[in-house]
Amino acid sequence: MEDVKILICDDSILARKQLKDIIRKCGYDNFLEAANGEQAISVYKESKPDLVFLDIVMPEKDGVQAVHEIRQFDPDAYIIIVSSVGTKSQLKAAIMEGAHDFIQKPYSSSSIERIVKKRFEGR
Amino acid sequence: MYTQFFGNFLINKGIITTEQLMEALKIQASTHQKLGTLAIHAGYMSANEVEDVYIMQTHYDKRFGELAVKLGYLTQKQVNELLELQLPDYMKLGQVLVEKGWISNVDLENLVAEYRSSYEICDLNLAIEQQELVNKLLSSFCSKENIQDSEQVIPYLTLFFNNLVRFIGEDFTPLEIIPMPEVPTNFCVSQQITDSLLSALDMEPQTAIAFACKYVDEEFTEFDEYVLASVEDFLNLHNGLYAVNMSNEHSVELQLEPPMVQEHTTLSTDAPAYLLPIVYPFGRINFILSVFGE
Repeated sequence: MEDVKILICDDSILARKQLKDIIRKCGYDNFLEAANGEQAISVYKESKPDLVFLDIVMPEKDGVQAVHEIRQFDPDAYIIIVSSVGTKSQLKAAIMEGAHDFIQKPYSSSSIERIVKKRFEGR
Repeated sequence: MYTQFFGNFLINKGIITTEQLMEALKIQASTHQKLGTLAIHAGYMSANEVEDVYIMQTHYDKRFGELAVKLGYLTQKQVNELLELQLPDYMKLGQVLVEKGWISNVDLENLVAEYRSSYEICDLNLAIEQQELVNKLLSSFCSKENIQDSEQVIPYLTLFFNNLVRFIGEDFTPLEIIPMPEVPTNFCVSQQITDSLLSALDMEPQTAIAFACKYVDEEFTEFDEYVLASVEDFLNLHNGLYAVNMSNEHSVELQLEPPMVQEHTTLSTDAPAYLLPIVYPFGRINFILSVFGE
């Protein structure tokens, strides 16, 4: 499990902490973090994480742009959009850009567990 | 919801000052409910009868319930029933005001009756009726201050009050809405909805810590980035829910911008801005709203 890298990108440090706390319970503890879309893209290019959680509303570059650029760099990137309520149009755009799935804040830990298990099944 | 507006009603009537209200709200949370106040609330005793019993209590070292039964104001069954009851917050506030000596029990009885009748408040259970009542309270709350864009401001504030009740706690009182061209701030978290409105929450560090504890349900002790992130998260959630409502009810798709933190600045917009102070027992929150959409 150790070699699995998970990138968490959210401009809120609280949101990043909450997500990490849940994912740790699934047995994964190797995190990369980014606070905006621009950072997420450069961290991705550097480390090629196995799973990306990407907030949709962020400064610098938002989630939609980040999905676009990450997928251009790596068409196999596995990206989950973390959307807040009220971001329907942005969410739709992110899915069109190739995000795999989305979860909505405030999320339940079981929805995160489901996504993590699905991604790393058989590993 | 009408509980929150009782304090505001008392200020408008000139019964108490804002400072008195803030002081009372701080004590309210830790106040023990009295049987006398419960009896007035339940309609089992008049305020005069309650006063009678209090006077008797200065002569006889007996419990309120015991004396009330002896005087024939209550039956033992009613006493037992009252002991099981919980005072609504506005009656608790009233009791604090009486204990402070700012009003009498008779004043309280009359004021509550007037407040209830002016808003036709009765014990509501239906969500729709509740909603209508909140709208009515808010309309009268806003119209006084001659607010522009009230057809946008009122639904927005209704949702805001509901979200405070849902995510922070129902023990708050909104003070008057003040139109302001510029608002000086302490620690201010703001968020724009593109081409529509600017919203901001401003509070002192200690208040922000308490606010964050309530919202996230964690024990924060320091004013750190987690606390600020919690306030941002609340504002983001609230505006998100507003965007959902606008999409569902008016087919308007709004775009949220990321929340921002500013320290000791002055918020100013070209559009009219309003300052709405909200008092919780843990402190005062300034909510700032500016509508610049059509």
